[in-house]
Amino acid sequence: MLEIDDLVVARSEKAAPVLDGISLKVRRGEKVAILGPSGAGKTTLFRAISGFLPIRSGTITVDGTTVNGLHGKGLRDLRRRIAMISQRHDLVDRLAVYQNVMAGALGRWSTLHALRFLVRPLPDELAEAEHALQKVALGRKLRVPTSQLSGGEHQRVAIARALVQHPQVLLADEPIASLDPVLSGEILSLLCNLASENGFALVCSLHQPEFADYFDRVIKIKEGKIESDVARLLQRPVEVGV
Amino acid sequence: MYGLASADPLLHQFFHPDLSFSNLRGLLIPALETLEMASAAVLFAIILGLLLGLMIGARLPGARLVYTALASFRAIPDLTLAILCVIVVGLGPAAGTLALALFYTAAVGKIFADLFASADRAPIESLQSTGANRLMVALYGLLPLRRQDLLTYGAYEFESAMRASIIVGAVGAGGIGTELVSQINSVEYSKVSTLILILILLVALVDGLGRLVRRQPKLLLIFLFCGVAAAWANRPQMFAARHAMETFATMWPPALPQEAFSKVPKLIGETLEMAFGGTLLAMILALPLGAAAARNISPVYISFPVRRLLEALRAIPEVVWGLVLLGIAIFGKTSTGIVALGIHSTGTLGKLYAESIENVPVEPVLAMTATGASRIAVTGFAHMPLAFAPIAVHSLFRLEWNMRAATVVGMIGAGGIGEALFNTQQLQFYNQTFAYVLITWALIMIVDRASGRLRSRWGIVQIDV
Repeated sequence: MLEIDDLVVARSEKAAPVLDGISLKVRRGEKVAILGPSGAGKTTLFRAISGFLPIRSGTITVDGTTVNGLHGKGLRDLRRRIAMISQRHDLVDRLAVYQNVMAGALGRWSTLHALRFLVRPLPDELAEAEHALQKVALGRKLRVPTSQLSGGEHQRVAIARALVQHPQVLLADEPIASLDPVLSGEILSLLCNLASENGFALVCSLHQPEFADYFDRVIKIKEGKIESDVARLLQRPVEVGV
Repeated sequence: MYGLASADPLLHQFFHPDLSFSNLRGLLIPALETLEMASAAVLFAIILGLLLGLMIGARLPGARLVYTALASFRAIPDLTLAILCVIVVGLGPAAGTLALALFYTAAVGKIFADLFASADRAPIESLQSTGANRLMVALYGLLPLRRQDLLTYGAYEFESAMRASIIVGAVGAGGIGTELVSQINSVEYSKVSTLILILILLVALVDGLGRLVRRQPKLLLIFLFCGVAAAWANRPQMFAARHAMETFATMWPPALPQEAFSKVPKLIGETLEMAFGGTLLAMILALPLGAAAARNISPVYISFPVRRLLEALRAIPEVVWGLVLLGIAIFGKTSTGIVALGIHSTGTLGKLYAESIENVPVEPVLAMTATGASRIAVTGFAHMPLAFAPIAVHSLFRLEWNMRAATVVGMIGAGGIGEALFNTQQLQFYNQTFAYVLITWALIMIVDRASGRLRSRWGIVQIDV
């Protein structure tokens, strides 16, 4: 599903690489944790996969589509298939919860459809938003202003938006960074269950090793390089880059 | 020649406004005209400015070119535009409305573009990551994220256009401005002060409306209706396309005769003197007044009256102070410009300084207070240093504004490039007029750029109003 081969990414042409020779493969439905300290390159890896950063060398392939050099419609089509949630507050506070959730469908809507939805959402669109919210246990918050949500609810709405996107890959960039341990466990088990249910590949970055238990595989990154790649259920290291 | 002796009877008249019913009734139509000009122009400016701002914010093709065009257009003072509009649609409110609409479209477009460009990138990137196109990102991200700021700055521009409608009125573009010039020419200073009082009331009314709209954005629909009605009422009665084309053709090539050319450095010097002098005067006056108006460091019995005083100073545009001071003839020409710019800018800077002091973070102030320091020491060692950056930015923006205002005040007789521009237009030496327009434009662009560089060197980013 997601294949990265000898990836090198740097902030500018002359700068030292932030990611230096990363290679990995993630299968459909697989749940992978990327562990590493702050500054290890986790966010850079996710942004490169989504096509937000230029690639110096190496390749990223998502379900047969190479990310390198994509732009315009090609890039948008790719992004439709990769959902992304992050530690940052990446919802639009001024919109209602259902509008933020259905923003996940923007990639498959026309501009006129998107405009009409803001003015007058149709019942089946609201039902779709409600269905996604029910999966994250927020079915009752459909019409609530997003600014009134707590940190945990905020993250759940971001997950609901990712579900509406029907992604092949879900990249979760430190989704529990600002949550307490109980809430963190809830969010991670929710993400893993949804990945199993919906069959998308889940790649989740963390800096707390104690939460690695939720995942099939744990990849440790340090200073832009893969330090280890362990299939958790097998309890033995697998070859780096496989 | 200049002095209080000659000014005394005029000052006496000035401080005794004519509030008789017949006078007030006669001013109803000009007041309405002014209100109509401002609302029609701002309606047009906000619609077009929002579209252009979104185009730049969403980085659609041609965005950079549009941004440069808006920034350049903004460097043409409103009164200069009014002169050009009078050539096209004749004297009257239509010319004023058109000039204001053009000026404020550039202003609103640039401000909105800056607002969109400085929107929080995290939600924008997350919308992009769904595969949404640029317009969708603008609709679902930029607009809702910046809605409150758009309303705030939109209301601010309406208030500003209200004052500017007086300015364009001064060249016969209608409304209170035209009335004001005619009363000053007739040495009817009691009627001049009545007009100034009406202006203060109109600005306060617009300010109140702005606050209402920010709380209840749906009221914008009423404003939309009023704006359309006002635009229709002030539609051009004539469109002298041929005359305009002929006039504009005579502007090319821009040229100055030898004797006028040699005077250009002196004229530039006078304009710079007015802009820098006016800003400096305002900074000196606004610092203590701003501190007195700041509600977190001044008791309410001081801050309340000082705020009202600042509002009154701000409500009266530089050009009105210029007209009044030139009529009373207390100062010399350039000094009149400096004082006119200084008085109005004191009102604006005083308010902005007060807000900067009020917005300082609480923690360092509490830490300073916890040492047992006196109120004055806390102000001097915590509030003032913390408020320095925004105060510096507001002062630089004011200097940029005063460069334009110095040209405008010059046009009504305070000297500098503005006066030369106005005189050549009156004498219909249009190629000279155009040369002065270009010099004014270049001067304003240079000061804007220099001020922008200074701000970025200090690491201060703020929306340019």
